[in-house]
Amino acid sequence: MEVVLHLPVVPNVELVAAKAVETLGGALGMHQTRVEAASVAVVEACLNAMEHGGGPVTVRLRSKNEAARPCLVIEVEDHGKGFNPERAPQNSPSRILGRASKRGWGLTLIRELMDEVQIRSAPGKTLVYMCKYVESAP
Amino acid sequence: MNEEQIKLSKDLLADDIGLIAAAGYINNEGGQAIADAATDLMGEGATTLLIDLEGTRIINSIGVSILLEILEKLLDEQGRLAFCNLTPTISKTFEIMGLVQYAAVYPSREVARAALEGDATS
Repeated sequence: MEVVLHLPVVPNVELVAAKAVETLGGALGMHQTRVEAASVAVVEACLNAMEHGGGPVTVRLRSKNEAARPCLVIEVEDHGKGFNPERAPQNSPSRILGRASKRGWGLTLIRELMDEVQIRSAPGKTLVYMCKYVESAP
Repeated sequence: MNEEQIKLSKDLLADDIGLIAAAGYINNEGGQAIADAATDLMGEGATTLLIDLEGTRIINSIGVSILLEILEKLLDEQGRLAFCNLTPTISKTFEIMGLVQYAAVYPSREVARAALEGDATS
């Protein structure tokens, strides 16, 4: 089972990806709370891809079952200039107040809300791989 | 289900307690709509704001960053911010972004009202 979305850069298009996560996660039997966490993560990945990639975004969703631990795999790909994931800003809740900009939480949220995250980035292609285990409990 | 369009209502629960009920996608536009309602209520004298997110299931970090600005504005005025009816994921997102360090979270509007009005009279 695989879903591939090619998203143009238009307002709120990230909700199309969130809806696909909701549908596929539900079909896999994933708990609603886990589906919602994956939905927020895909929204953040799409927003980052649109903001920094500058062009259309490809989202691929599929199920995977390795080591008897099924999961929903989500990949978000853009074709921007790329970045060094190790040098990406790491936000901390202790530093939220008093800063002029409160942005830059996307990667932190993705890493906290998903079970596995890998980022491969080079000029012309950035791929964010995310996995959420299919578990019936939250 | 039209999640894109946020539905908002605001009311003064007491002289200094304002309620904002928001259902829908909290993105830049949803967050700004909440911020505008917060400004209105603060202009009417509210120093405590309760934001009820029943019906909100998806948010993004841009929307939450606007909620952080509301929090900052309230703290500058010695005010308080509280939330109720959060989904577990929204609650976790607020925790990750540090919002719950400064804002109270209640399971329901009734529990929140009792706590906030009790605090106001004590």
